[in-house]
Amino acid sequence: MNGQIMGSDEAYNFVFKVVLIGESGVGKSNLLSRFTKNEFNHDTRTTIGVEFSTRTVQLNTFTIKAQIWDTAGLERYRAITSAYYRGAVGALLVYDITKHLTYESVERWLKELYEHADPHIVVMLVGNKTDLESERSVPTEEAKDFAEKKGILFLETSALNSSNVEEAFNSVLTEIHKKVSSKEVVRGSINAVTLNGSKEETTEESKPCCRNI
Amino acid sequence: MAKIENGRQSVDTRSIRTISSSHIDDESSLGSDSEINGFTSDRQTDKYGFIGGAQQYSETSAQDVPPAVLRQREVKWLDMLNHWDKWIIKRFDKVRLRCQKGIPPALRGRAWLYLSGGKVKKEQNQGKFQELDNQAGEPKWIDVIEKDLHRQFPFHEMFVSRGGHGQRDLFRVLKAYTVYRPEEGYCQAQAPIAAVLLMHMPAEEAFWGLVQICERYLPGYYSPGLEAIQLDGEILFALLRRVSPLAFRHLEKHKIDPILYMTEWFMCAFSRTLPWASVLRVWDMFLCDGVKIIFRVGLVLLKCMLGTREKLKACQGQYETMELLRAIEPRYMQEGFLVREILEVPVTARDVEREHHAQLKRWRKTRGELNSKPAPRMHGARHVMMSEPPGRQDLQQNPTIVVEVPPPKGKEEKKSKKKRSMKKPQTIMEIPNPYPLPTDPPPPPPPTDPPAPPPVRDHTIETAPQADTDSLQQPQQAPPTDRPPAEESPALQQSTQSLSSTELDTYL
Repeated sequence: MNGQIMGSDEAYNFVFKVVLIGESGVGKSNLLSRFTKNEFNHDTRTTIGVEFSTRTVQLNTFTIKAQIWDTAGLERYRAITSAYYRGAVGALLVYDITKHLTYESVERWLKELYEHADPHIVVMLVGNKTDLESERSVPTEEAKDFAEKKGILFLETSALNSSNVEEAFNSVLTEIHKKVSSKEVVRGSINAVTLNGSKEETTEESKPCCRNI
Repeated sequence: MAKIENGRQSVDTRSIRTISSSHIDDESSLGSDSEINGFTSDRQTDKYGFIGGAQQYSETSAQDVPPAVLRQREVKWLDMLNHWDKWIIKRFDKVRLRCQKGIPPALRGRAWLYLSGGKVKKEQNQGKFQELDNQAGEPKWIDVIEKDLHRQFPFHEMFVSRGGHGQRDLFRVLKAYTVYRPEEGYCQAQAPIAAVLLMHMPAEEAFWGLVQICERYLPGYYSPGLEAIQLDGEILFALLRRVSPLAFRHLEKHKIDPILYMTEWFMCAFSRTLPWASVLRVWDMFLCDGVKIIFRVGLVLLKCMLGTREKLKACQGQYETMELLRAIEPRYMQEGFLVREILEVPVTARDVEREHHAQLKRWRKTRGELNSKPAPRMHGARHVMMSEPPGRQDLQQNPTIVVEVPPPKGKEEKKSKKKRSMKKPQTIMEIPNPYPLPTDPPPPPPPTDPPAPPPVRDHTIETAPQADTDSLQQPQQAPPTDRPPAEESPALQQSTQSLSSTELDTYL
């Protein structure tokens, strides 16, 4: 893969769309703001609709533009998520380590994910709010075993004190990049990078020079 | 466009709450809520209650109405509110015009309650809110609601304090709704709607306002399945084709699902998108004319941001387009500009309904039958009133402060006929004027045997003998000179009357 300049003022090789999913209140919005803007707010407004932000990272020699999407976690919002998942190559499935209920619904979220997103999507289970260790109700080992069983990545983070946030996103992006490099990539619009090489995500305005063979 | 790269500053610059200040106990009712939370005076609160410039208040673009005009409008609105059913049924065009001009702030809360039909609902369900308020509510809803309380307008002084009365009232209203409609439960977008209402009226009234918005104006928006909002997204997109073909084709080409940009706009009725002055103007029109206003605002924003080739050159893909729609240029959201544009959009309630049918048909073909069929949509205040006709007593205002005024000479018979609908006050309280002017006679002692209460007069009749309600009314602070001396009733006080001290209650 050689460098291809896309976009107006940033040079990057790839654009990876990553979605944040999980119950309401687990910290998705703060993980987003911590990673993309290095900000944290106790009173971030409830997400209604879709929020998103980008950050460009260096992975080895490659420049990756990570497009992180965030949406409402409340149950009924799942009805509108199919547009949200379209084109996503990575997902962070977040729960709150101090609220066991948010961990219990992880199975349902996974099911939802595989129903709507690319089957090759890279998934990481994220136990957030490690700054509240004293109130922990989900043992690390338990979640780690579950993630292994499901074949997904796992990390515990704290958006509040930044612990492991970079690591979480970077491992997901690295893993995505591995998958992308090993398969034929067809790039259509500036945003879509698919994992399976199907024409589904390409738009009519795909330029011949952007195609990697 | 700012460069985003790996090595960046780690200062949490944008959040008003620092991590340390969040541990401050907010239970105290001493001092203002914002002071307790460590806000210093350099964080200015704007005239709407927002701290630190949140919600985009701008001195330069503020459209301040001259006080004389405001007083005029207040008097007109008071008259309308006193004869609400007649105005709605017979002169709705005038009501609409006045809503378009902007409801005077002092009467906005009351006007919204009347426009939405919340007033009628409240009167016809006396005691209901208390009943709902007293119930514990279902734990699963309580849990989610509580999580959200500090996340609605956290930069507004009413809601900034955890456990403060703003958040408590928000809890009461939202919880009451889940008890009132257990099959609906709670949807997060209801919180901003309730919060906006609470900024203008007490909890019980905000509750009924919420009921009307959720069930009459935007039925199905907050229901499980969120089908109504998806359908409206399709309607918006279809209407866009006519209003701005360029924007339409662009969104179509890049496969940008309406749900990706209109969800927060519509579900929160733009309360999270626009500068506050514009939010209030939009809501004035929305509660008057229904959802078509919401559609028009969406269409204006889409047309402004994506409606020219020049603008479209800057967004080559889905992400760039969405970024653009997320950062609407302030000039397009400015009160004056926005209201003018809204009035120009050639979309009527009928257009919305027609497109609704078309999209519903399309939905059934591609996605099968709807899971839930919400009640039919009411397109504004008149529609609401026709479908929920009020009894006479339902529209009466219930003042808690009543001031006797003597009737003007000569017009008594004509006015008393008009005044039949006025509620007789329960008790006339003889309130001695605590602030007499130096020229006033000292107030007489309260009589032991109060005389039969004379008919209570509307302030408009008192100060302007002519019946023309559009004439200039200027209630002054000093007692009006055309008032006869207080000889008719020994209990009458020569009080200084400003508009806010009439019999009609105003809520801040």
